[in-house]
Amino acid sequence: MCCLLLQMNLLQRKIFFPGSSVASCFARLRVRGSFPPFVRLPVVLCLVVLALLSGCAEDQVIDQAVSDYVIGDYANARNLLRPLADKTDENFVLNNCRLGSVDLADYHINDAQKDFLRAYEVINSVGVNNGGRTLGAIALDEEIKIWKGEPFERAMANFYLGLTYYIQQDYPNARGAFENALFKLRDYGEEGDKGDQYTQVESNFALGFLMLGKCYQRLDRPDDAQKMFDQAIQYRPELRELANFDVNQKSNVLLVIDFGYGPYKQKNVDGAIVGFAPTPAEAGPVPRPMIVVDGQTLDLEHMNRPPVDLLALAQDRRWQSIDTIRVVKSALGTGLIAAGAYEGLRQHSDPGLALGLIAAGVVLKATSQADVRQWEMLPRTTFILPVSLPPGTHDLAINFPAAVGMSQTWHGIVAPSTGEATYYFRMQRYDAGPYDWPPPALTLTGSTTAPAAN
Amino acid sequence: MDTEGAFFQTVPSAQLLRSAAGLLVVVAIGLAGCASAVESGHNTALDSVDLTAMTDRMAASIAGSPEVQAAIQSEGKLRIVVEPVVNEMEAEVLPRGQAEAFTARVRFLLSQHAPDRFTWIMNRDAYYRLRQQELDVPLGPAPDAMNPRYALVARFRSLADESSQVRSDAYLCVYELSDLQTRTILWTDKYEVKKTAVKAFLD
Repeated sequence: MCCLLLQMNLLQRKIFFPGSSVASCFARLRVRGSFPPFVRLPVVLCLVVLALLSGCAEDQVIDQAVSDYVIGDYANARNLLRPLADKTDENFVLNNCRLGSVDLADYHINDAQKDFLRAYEVINSVGVNNGGRTLGAIALDEEIKIWKGEPFERAMANFYLGLTYYIQQDYPNARGAFENALFKLRDYGEEGDKGDQYTQVESNFALGFLMLGKCYQRLDRPDDAQKMFDQAIQYRPELRELANFDVNQKSNVLLVIDFGYGPYKQKNVDGAIVGFAPTPAEAGPVPRPMIVVDGQTLDLEHMNRPPVDLLALAQDRRWQSIDTIRVVKSALGTGLIAAGAYEGLRQHSDPGLALGLIAAGVVLKATSQADVRQWEMLPRTTFILPVSLPPGTHDLAINFPAAVGMSQTWHGIVAPSTGEATYYFRMQRYDAGPYDWPPPALTLTGSTTAPAAN
Repeated sequence: MDTEGAFFQTVPSAQLLRSAAGLLVVVAIGLAGCASAVESGHNTALDSVDLTAMTDRMAASIAGSPEVQAAIQSEGKLRIVVEPVVNEMEAEVLPRGQAEAFTARVRFLLSQHAPDRFTWIMNRDAYYRLRQQELDVPLGPAPDAMNPRYALVARFRSLADESSQVRSDAYLCVYELSDLQTRTILWTDKYEVKKTAVKAFLD
């Protein structure tokens, strides 16, 4: 029975243990030990099946929402994710990040901002896992802890929050969020040689420096803007054209283009060690966008280089204390199972002892599985393209010649006469358009253009 | 007969299983006390305690300022427009509602305790935001038709740092009552606070 439970736990851990109602039912069963076995076993089985079914249901909803997102059915994805994002459980941050991605791609900018803000507040908090969740994550299942994401996921949550503010021309808050995004990646750099590693790590997130520079420009702080652009260039010299002060100052249309998909978490055979795949080398170089405006290809002057590659950023994952705990538990579990097998096979063996050792080993192995929850909607890269267009409306096409089928066409894109209008695009293979600007979500809110700065 | 119980009683290693099961149950019961994602934890952002302390102090400071009292004696009720907080904080977001709350509460306290000394004028953004909502209530004259003499503004600045162990924010919140005609500062005061959040095991 115990082994059966544990095997089921391996299959479906997320829902089984966090469900405190199920746990307390077990507790009651244990306390009221007077249940005869023929009653106890079916009840336990029913509880397990119920827990599995509810877990399966939630996982299926997430899977469906991710699938909808990938094919560009954002309305359905939002409907599926909204109830989950409202639940303040261990997936609160994750589901709000997922929902934020969907809302942003569908131009529900205010909603996306709320989603990312909710995630931001918990990500920035400490001690959210204190008490029962820490105990549970160590003893039972890491997925009991409240998901706050890997550093690159935290940085991207802050980046998108900043982007929603930037689109709405709330540059002070955009600046705050972009600065916070850089903080989230500092964590990496503090093991060992502090100074050098800070530099090495922050260089991977030149995206943050770029957007910070743009914010400072809009806030009329040219010196600070230049400093940020210089830092972006210092760390990533190939972004020289993109981080050019004058180009960004003159631009009246900013295109923010999410392309591809970020890394996915995977466990080793044992399940105790987690890593990210694919590596940038496995995935190949990031294709570059080509922008066609009113039928003419824009000369992007090498600005179309990716300012970030999340596949590379994810490879810097920091080893955490809980990783060590999992590995030790798993190794102990392996040892106990081996010892149990040996006990069972030797002459004059004690079958009870063998069973006990194996069972204890299985328990340890089962509870040493790595947390593989992740933000599936993240792109591989986010292109930032500040362009200068004649004031008025334009037809705009985004093509990726090196990625077959990846294109998106929009009619009626507004280029303001003053300031800068920001447009966000999520490239999906099955979502080429053509679309008319403004999209329905902006029409509903009474906004017909991307806001133009003064 | 309880054969399962008999088995466990006769096999010594079953105690191990029972202990493990007991531990699981204890942990499971512990999990029942798990707080939600928004109930537990804290951060270094300005919170409701700061809001109350800061605005109480600012309202008292404005009301007790000799310069403000002199202006009231010479001009009568001061016509003041209240602006939301300007966010100049490092790595901190201040959503609009919060930005408005930090000055709105000062206005509320002063209008409650000194209604005969101040006239409060809705700021331009709030006026147009309300007008967009197409409310059936009259909003009064347009902002351009109003002529506030003073502006209550606040600027929040902070120095932030974050490492894998700790996050700290040192805040300087400056309030000013400025004369829009002479561009002079009639009154100013500040609120300072430093906050530190030490990261826990799973942070």
